[in-house]
Amino acid sequence: MLRVCDLMHKGVNCCYPEETVKSVAKTIQASQFRSVVVVHQSGEVWGLISILDLVRHHGEDLEQLSAEDIMRPYMIDVDPQWPVERAIDIMRKRKIEHLIIIDPHAGPKRPIGILTTFDIIRHMSQIKTGTYEQMLRVYDGTSISSAP
Amino acid sequence: MEKKVMNLMRKGALTCGENMSIREVAQIMVVNGARYCVVTNGNHQVRGIISARSILRAFGKDLDQIMAKEILLPYTIAVTPNSSLKEAVDLMSRKKIEHVIVVSDQPGNKAVFGLLHIEDIVTDMAKD
Repeated sequence: MLRVCDLMHKGVNCCYPEETVKSVAKTIQASQFRSVVVVHQSGEVWGLISILDLVRHHGEDLEQLSAEDIMRPYMIDVDPQWPVERAIDIMRKRKIEHLIIIDPHAGPKRPIGILTTFDIIRHMSQIKTGTYEQMLRVYDGTSISSAP
Repeated sequence: MEKKVMNLMRKGALTCGENMSIREVAQIMVVNGARYCVVTNGNHQVRGIISARSILRAFGKDLDQIMAKEILLPYTIAVTPNSSLKEAVDLMSRKKIEHVIVVSDQPGNKAVFGLLHIEDIVTDMAKD
């Protein structure tokens, strides 16, 4: 059985609720992630700002808006040991593309990673991890015979 | 001056045929690191777009048996390079889509001209 922790990627992009939306936009732009997790000073998850939530405020004064104003409160606790089907059901029902993974062992509401639709599609496409590295080894080196 | 779609759009787009299986479409997306694929017919006319969320709907089914035309989000609203950016952003938030297909404003021509990506709008927002 495929579990959430097999497909998710570890680590999240974080910001504090009082940060301006401008700085959230800069975080998203610089990191190439498509969401930012809003965390309290204590490290607990408060909400999620996806790239779509952010774009709704295009054209407004971003210095005057704070992350708390535009975030969606996040109430779903997805455990890394859940089967992937359960996580996909939540994504479909709520029409969201990002799920914050919360590990109960790391503390209450502590984010440890994110599962996105793209992570699942990578699994569905059945392209094996490591394929690109192998191709690079074939084509960039001096010796083609070192290819696996 | 009001910004237009042509200020932020990228020319060209990743496309697939309408009779391709979803597995192939997923592979095209993963290899190119894209979260969309524009579906065209034999005459290169736009039929619609497949996003990561539409492929997710087929999870657990036989991906080789489902065709791209069965899951695509049909292309209904024409956005041209001369449309206003606000209009396109409204369309994105209303339909919850991250990419908008831009077609040429010449009459009768429905080939893909380019694509407006959500990342480019965020880059514009992050600019000082």
